[in-house]
Amino acid sequence: MTKKNNSKAINSLTEILLVEDVRKSYGPRPALRGLSFSLKAGRVMGFLGPNGAGKTTAIRILTTILEPDSGSFLVDGISSDYPEKIRQRIGVLPESLGFPKQMTAYEFLVHFGELYGQAQNEAKAYAMELLEEVGLQQRGNSLIGTYSRGMRQRLGIARALINRPVVVFLDEPTLGLDPHGQQELLALVRRIAEERNAGVVLCSHLLPEIEGSCDDVVILNAGQVVAAGSVAEVIGRVQRNVILHNSFRIQTAPQFVAEVRRIVKELPEILEATSQGEGDGWLRIELMDIADGNLSHRSQINNRVLGALIRRKIPIINFETQSGRLQDVFLRLTEETIQ
Amino acid sequence: MNGKQTARRKRKESSGASRPAWRVILSWELKELWIGGKALILIILFSILLSIMSWLLATNSELNLIPRKEMIFLTLQATIAVGLFISLIIGADSISGERERVTFEGLLLTPASHRQIILGKFFAAISGWPVAFAITIPYLILLSQSNAKIVLNSLLWSFTVGSILILGFTGFAMLVSTGTNSNRTSLFVSLAIYILCLLPTQFPGSAQAGLAGQFIKKINPMEATNQFLEKVIVNNRTPQEMAIWLWAPILFFGFTFLILFWYAGRVLPFDAGRLWMQRVPRRRVTILALLICLVVILGSAPVRALGMRALDAGTSLRISTDIAYKTIKTGDTVVFNTTVTNNSKEDSPQMFVAMNIIDLAKNGDPVDPEDWSPVRTRAVGPLVVGQSSTQSWTIHAILDGDYMVYLVLIPEPNDPQSTSQPVVSSGIHMTVMPFTSLNPGDVLPLALGMPIGLTVLMFVLLWTRNRSINIGRPPSTVENLST
Repeated sequence: MTKKNNSKAINSLTEILLVEDVRKSYGPRPALRGLSFSLKAGRVMGFLGPNGAGKTTAIRILTTILEPDSGSFLVDGISSDYPEKIRQRIGVLPESLGFPKQMTAYEFLVHFGELYGQAQNEAKAYAMELLEEVGLQQRGNSLIGTYSRGMRQRLGIARALINRPVVVFLDEPTLGLDPHGQQELLALVRRIAEERNAGVVLCSHLLPEIEGSCDDVVILNAGQVVAAGSVAEVIGRVQRNVILHNSFRIQTAPQFVAEVRRIVKELPEILEATSQGEGDGWLRIELMDIADGNLSHRSQINNRVLGALIRRKIPIINFETQSGRLQDVFLRLTEETIQ
Repeated sequence: MNGKQTARRKRKESSGASRPAWRVILSWELKELWIGGKALILIILFSILLSIMSWLLATNSELNLIPRKEMIFLTLQATIAVGLFISLIIGADSISGERERVTFEGLLLTPASHRQIILGKFFAAISGWPVAFAITIPYLILLSQSNAKIVLNSLLWSFTVGSILILGFTGFAMLVSTGTNSNRTSLFVSLAIYILCLLPTQFPGSAQAGLAGQFIKKINPMEATNQFLEKVIVNNRTPQEMAIWLWAPILFFGFTFLILFWYAGRVLPFDAGRLWMQRVPRRRVTILALLICLVVILGSAPVRALGMRALDAGTSLRISTDIAYKTIKTGDTVVFNTTVTNNSKEDSPQMFVAMNIIDLAKNGDPVDPEDWSPVRTRAVGPLVVGQSSTQSWTIHAILDGDYMVYLVLIPEPNDPQSTSQPVVSSGIHMTVMPFTSLNPGDVLPLALGMPIGLTVLMFVLLWTRNRSINIGRPPSTVENLST
């Protein structure tokens, strides 16, 4: 009944979060240096950055917990000058959210529902609905102290949805979960965006998962946005700018590693072939400089290497071109800070 | 009203109205505190303390050690101290505890205003006080031996003044709690202030009587409250006469309340950081510390002793007692007579007889005669030569031990420029044996029943709650999102 409320009110092309030149310093140290980006309804945005890039500060400012030094933002058309109104329209799962261990999930959700101005009966009914949505209906009446981490994260997401938010901020929701748990949770995040037509800002370090689950991405480095747009756009833009590694990786059977090295080093464009890992057959192949950064030229080299190996009947288990994935883009864009 | 309107009205009634945020927070906090939380445990501990105290007081009462009003005052004083302690602990935990448990950010993310959050938590923090006070009432009725007038007057004033004091201290503890991320720090600071306020009562008696000592008493809200209640409950003074003692708790309450709701209610940071340290320059802290030291030193200055008069001259008056020794039990009463005889060659002036009791086991320390006898001095009219006069004395044996009772006969000096020679009686050696009673003042059933009843109540509440929820199984070691 209520899940799709937002879809009626908000067109999927509407920008429900608009951030303009937000700055914040802690004493002399700048944490955010002109943060600007936007988010449309029904889309999931990956909010990435190395540790200390300013992600948490940004989330805290956008969720009205901290005040920016300058700049402004709009949530569902409401200015950051009205934090209490903004809090009515956002849902947040902070990075570390504590739970009262002696209360049940149902009581917890009813309590927060009432804090958002719902009447008790309404809060109770909606709490049941949310417990079902996040798959906790069987354990809703159990003490939170008995919950596993995955269950707590789902409860945290249910709590973030208690006010039927227009924008949902999820800070590291998959932290500490096993791979299966991570997949389930990311699927839940996608459902929230699609069924509720809410915009989701997802902070995570799981870059492959972000790449698979997010529509858009914002990469933050040293308090600045270094890349923003759809996932495909960001990857593509980086590739075009030739900030690529001139290398790729091949995995073969361990007994063929020496032979592969010998074969590829005979090829004219190959600079170096080094084995990686601990005897699992991975090799890193470095190419000569490609001055013009031409992608088709690079692809031809890749094909030549693969062709040479196939002709010699070398089994190829894996082939990875670097810089073709969000993880590589992220590493390249944030390299300086990490160094 | 048509059918549609009726249906709409019914729907509206069934959904109910939303409650203000402070009430939502209050009911949540009360649930956390009182069902399986620390508040009920603290109250049970308090009831045990109160039971022990009332049993001892009732024992003393049977021995005529303490007047009833004083017993009531002491009980109420303990109730206020414990109520204050409970509220202080809960108040100190209210914000910093949430920060430490990482639940505070979640609360700040709701549309509830900072003031509403503080208000809800403030009411929850003081919830221990009315409960502690209510528990005290049956004890008071028992100790006062159902003297309604004494009980009602004491209850009225202690609840009013105690509430002001507790509101002030709870506000202060919450203020500290807003300024720190650590629960331990806020508890330590709040309890340190609590102890600091208790400290002046430990000053030497002379220091307490000094000008600075009196000043400290008046500005110390805790001591001022005690003084007010003692004077009104025990000494039958009117509240109007003693109103000066109310200023400290009222001002303290007003000050903390203002800062808490005006300042902290506005800023209430999710991370306290170095909020307070940054705002208070070191120089000011040093000056404040020096001022406190100065006040303490001044408070220790004793009142200047008054001049003493020298004694001279002698008489041939005599005073004798009708018993030389007595062995009794605590609580017993000893009645004896003294005889004053004029053996001189002239008529005696007006005379006074003063009774003294010293504790032989404690190097002859005098006991407080006020506790032991309602009459400590008697006047004896002028006696003609050879004439005698007999006086009757009563002593209540308060404490067991080895005592000597002696009386001093003091003739009135003839004029301002002369003095007289006091005469001492032979002593009465009094050995007081201990007295035991299992159920003094019939207080034992209540003293045992209250803590047991509250403990049973706690288990019933827990049992009821556990029945309404699924206790659940321990978290699985494998993190799995599927149910």
